[in-house]
Amino acid sequence: MDVTQEKRLREDETLAEKNVLVTNIDKVLNWGRGHSFWPLTLGLACCAIEMMATGGPRYDISRFGWEVFRASPRQADVMIVAGTCTRKLAPLLRRLYDQLPEPKWVIAMGSCASSGGPFVDSYAMMAGVDKVVPVDVYIPGCPPRPESLLFGLMQLQYKVSNPAKVRLMRHGK
Amino acid sequence: MENKEVLRQRVEELATRVNGEVEEIIGAFILKVKAPYVIETLTAAKKFADVPCDFLHDLGGLDLVDHLEVVYQLSSLRGPQRLRVKAVVDRENPVIDSVTNIWQGANFLEREAYDMFGIKFTGHPNLKRIYLWDDFEGYPLRKDYVTEPIEVRNIVRQRIEGE
Repeated sequence: MDVTQEKRLREDETLAEKNVLVTNIDKVLNWGRGHSFWPLTLGLACCAIEMMATGGPRYDISRFGWEVFRASPRQADVMIVAGTCTRKLAPLLRRLYDQLPEPKWVIAMGSCASSGGPFVDSYAMMAGVDKVVPVDVYIPGCPPRPESLLFGLMQLQYKVSNPAKVRLMRHGK
Repeated sequence: MENKEVLRQRVEELATRVNGEVEEIIGAFILKVKAPYVIETLTAAKKFADVPCDFLHDLGGLDLVDHLEVVYQLSSLRGPQRLRVKAVVDRENPVIDSVTNIWQGANFLEREAYDMFGIKFTGHPNLKRIYLWDDFEGYPLRKDYVTEPIEVRNIVRQRIEGE
């Protein structure tokens, strides 16, 4: 399926699930989800170094409750695509995404994962992972500093906690 | 290098035997030979008396527009000697003998040269692409390679099972 369409459908689904009876439970659930992301250790290139630094004591990602980096996609719910995705890797990246249990989100960390970065004209480059998986948050930078990654995760937290608000913001309201 | 004169003598002897040319650039000897002589040259270089160049440091391809080259960087764990052997390969029919029988470590290096330049190494045990996927078309480090347009590159490839 076209990834742009897939992303739209996923967002519509999140909204459609809301109804009066479960709204309050949803609020609690989303609060829990947003405060305990389990990211997948998906370090593909130099961005992985910054991701590791974020996990270290100086920047300390565990302040926010996101420190449980999982080595298996079946135990994770956020995919931080940290680095260059080549065309050879793209089908495998998609497979990892398909193996994540719902609900799941994707962060494109760094300019390579967002749009191709300095390798955009290369024969081997998948310019932007948003052609492979639906991306929720793009973090610019080459590589982004740990503060940027934390800010990106906070943006995702906001998106998870307030799906309706984010939807309205996207339509300029 | 204290053994430089010995090495120079050995290299020049070898060059007359294999119709090669010797150059010296920034203190390093460069021996340029034709592709059919490459096995003879490298076997002899490995067995140089006193200054054996018996360690294959690196192997790479080069595209010089009118012909291709395979560059063998030789050195040794037993001395400071270094030798660079360049084998000239025809561009239309890039075939050269594999050196995997002399150095096992040339296996992956030759696969890389095949992947990027399309140089075929006869006698290689497993000559297929190493970095790029098997159904990739063309040899990307050749000067005349044209990168596919972004619309084509954006199509996610289907993985072949067991690849």
